Amino acid sequence: MTHSDDNAITVEGLTKHYGDLRAVNDVSFTVRRGEVFAFLGPNGAGKTTTVEIIETIRTPTSGRVNVLGMDVTKQKRDIVPRIGVLPQGFSSYDRITVRESILYYRRLFGCSTTDVDALIDLTNLGDKRDVQFNKLSGGLKQRLGIAIALVNDPEVVFLDEPTTGLDPHARRAVWDVLLGLKRKGKTVFLTTHYMEEAELLADTVAIISKGKLVAMGSPEDLIERNANYMCLTLRSAEAGVLDTVRRLGFEPVRDDRNNIRVRVKQTDDVEAILSGVKGAGLALPGMDVRKPNLEEVFLGLTGEVLHESAPVSGATP
Amino acid sequence: MTPRIIAANLVVRLRSFSREKSAMFFTVAFPVILVLVFGAIFTKPEHMNFELPVQDLDQSDASAKLVKGLASQGVFETIPVPADADAIQYTRDHKINLLLIIPKGFEDMQLRRLEEWDDDASVTLTYIYDPSSTSLKTKLQFLNAMAAAANQEISGTSPFITLKEQSILAKKYRFIEFFVPGIIAMAVMTSSLSGALNTNAELRQKGILRKLATTPITRTDWLLSNVLYQIVLAVISTVSILLVSYAVFDVRLEINAWLPVYVVLEVFAFVGIGMLLTPIAREAESAAAAGNAFLFPMMFLSGTFFPVEMMPGFLQKFARILPLYYLNEGLRASMIFVDNTTALRCAAITAAVAGVVFVAGALVTRWDQGA
Repeated sequence: MTHSDDNAITVEGLTKHYGDLRAVNDVSFTVRRGEVFAFLGPNGAGKTTTVEIIETIRTPTSGRVNVLGMDVTKQKRDIVPRIGVLPQGFSSYDRITVRESILYYRRLFGCSTTDVDALIDLTNLGDKRDVQFNKLSGGLKQRLGIAIALVNDPEVVFLDEPTTGLDPHARRAVWDVLLGLKRKGKTVFLTTHYMEEAELLADTVAIISKGKLVAMGSPEDLIERNANYMCLTLRSAEAGVLDTVRRLGFEPVRDDRNNIRVRVKQTDDVEAILSGVKGAGLALPGMDVRKPNLEEVFLGLTGEVLHESAPVSGATP
Repeated sequence: MTPRIIAANLVVRLRSFSREKSAMFFTVAFPVILVLVFGAIFTKPEHMNFELPVQDLDQSDASAKLVKGLASQGVFETIPVPADADAIQYTRDHKINLLLIIPKGFEDMQLRRLEEWDDDASVTLTYIYDPSSTSLKTKLQFLNAMAAAANQEISGTSPFITLKEQSILAKKYRFIEFFVPGIIAMAVMTSSLSGALNTNAELRQKGILRKLATTPITRTDWLLSNVLYQIVLAVISTVSILLVSYAVFDVRLEINAWLPVYVVLEVFAFVGIGMLLTPIAREAESAAAAGNAFLFPMMFLSGTFFPVEMMPGFLQKFARILPLYYLNEGLRASMIFVDNTTALRCAAITAAVAGVVFVAGALVTRWDQGA
């Protein structure tokens, strides 16, 4: 791996043990300047441990981690002023208002020129500026955390599960803020277990499972490389369809909505199945062909479900 | 050390404090209430006044004079009991714990003794009492003393032995004046120890420490801002206690340079102890429990509420290993007795303890995530 100036973060052979538990096991990757890098994995995969080592608040057992060309174990003091962090489950002083909290962190960083009101506008907290922290909803708290992560105009922003526990509306609002950061050209290191979040925001996705990096690339790349098939869904209740498709040499399954799902390699297969069903004189009220999504790629790679609400039915063979 | 960061921390903590009603209560109102309540309870004996029901069976001039004499000392307020009442039944019915009976023939006996020089003439005053009463002993002491004085006077000779009091202390002090320094020491101890313990546990639990670990704040900045914050709280509670004590009880205390010295030393000592307890009490709830387990024995055994001399010998020895003991002793030495030697000795011991526990506490404090 190179240490060129294009890389904001370089991780080489990173390993972290907690007693006998190997939380992170020989992980290597790089994050380019200006990209949104999503670190994707289920709970307990080692995401937070990895990101906290990069943020300089944990020490690695072995391996090398460089941020902006500096070693995290030796140059904490130089790294900290140049990064911004939204820790997992961000929280602030209960009785301190939005504006006061941002001012407080601005003073800690000694960035007296930072425009607090601009940060409030960026995170859409304008009408909440004088509301105390404990009166904010989960989504507003996260947005305040993002505003605070930006007080020192950091070159790299770390967002550790920024939307976990938020309702879909609040999650959208946080994504809007993140898209704003992306437009501003910030390097963003995002950990998440929401696939849509990674697909929507990330230039590069790294998938971690049980402490090991299992795949990395752009979302399109990952799908292309790891899922060289298409999903054909036949909306039919007729039992004959299943037998017909099976006789053609495919492995159809019936999902919980009574649709028939078939994995096909190429468009010729789709034609073969459709004409087979038609030839047998069976009704076919509807159909759909699509590429598998990251969720399915992830399941295929790790055998794990990303989070509890993840739809698993789409992954049936 | 960065003054800008320390100031920012101090401001945010004080702002939180001023908006937190329960914190305000425990820092200001609680010690003040203790002073008011204990002051009100223990100030009373100074104007001691007991009711003493007296049944005068003699109904003579001499017996009337005796009743008047009992009341003249200011200790007893006599209440006449009807001569035809049954004394024991009366005592029970009126829920009183001491009733004095002047027998019939009191005046005759007094005349025989005084006019006829009859040494065999004597009277017996009977008292009916309830042995379960706590104030009985004090009342009987006064009665006995009065009887002795009367006997001595009737014998016509001047007393051979008289007692004159001379205190080893430069000045006399009232209980409230003993109590106020103890309450100051207690209030500062409580807010410093629980402040160091709970805040750290709470900030850790909420993840604020994790966020702070990604800012330029250092351990030194963090510790210093905590100590400064606790000193401000200690000053607030000390001033409130003193204001109330002066306003309500008109205490006479010496306020000199020792007071700020002790307050600052005490904050360092108990913030240090709080930091030492933090690793064993990581959750906010267990932190509160650990704090109380430490605070309460300290409060009762170090002479906060009553002099250590009132405790059994082994507990007195034990008190001498408690840091709060030296704060109580030292604060009283400076505020009541103006005894600079004792104040200096206690301040030196406190400073040594504070230095050791604060440094040790700072070393065990992992305010960031650590390894």
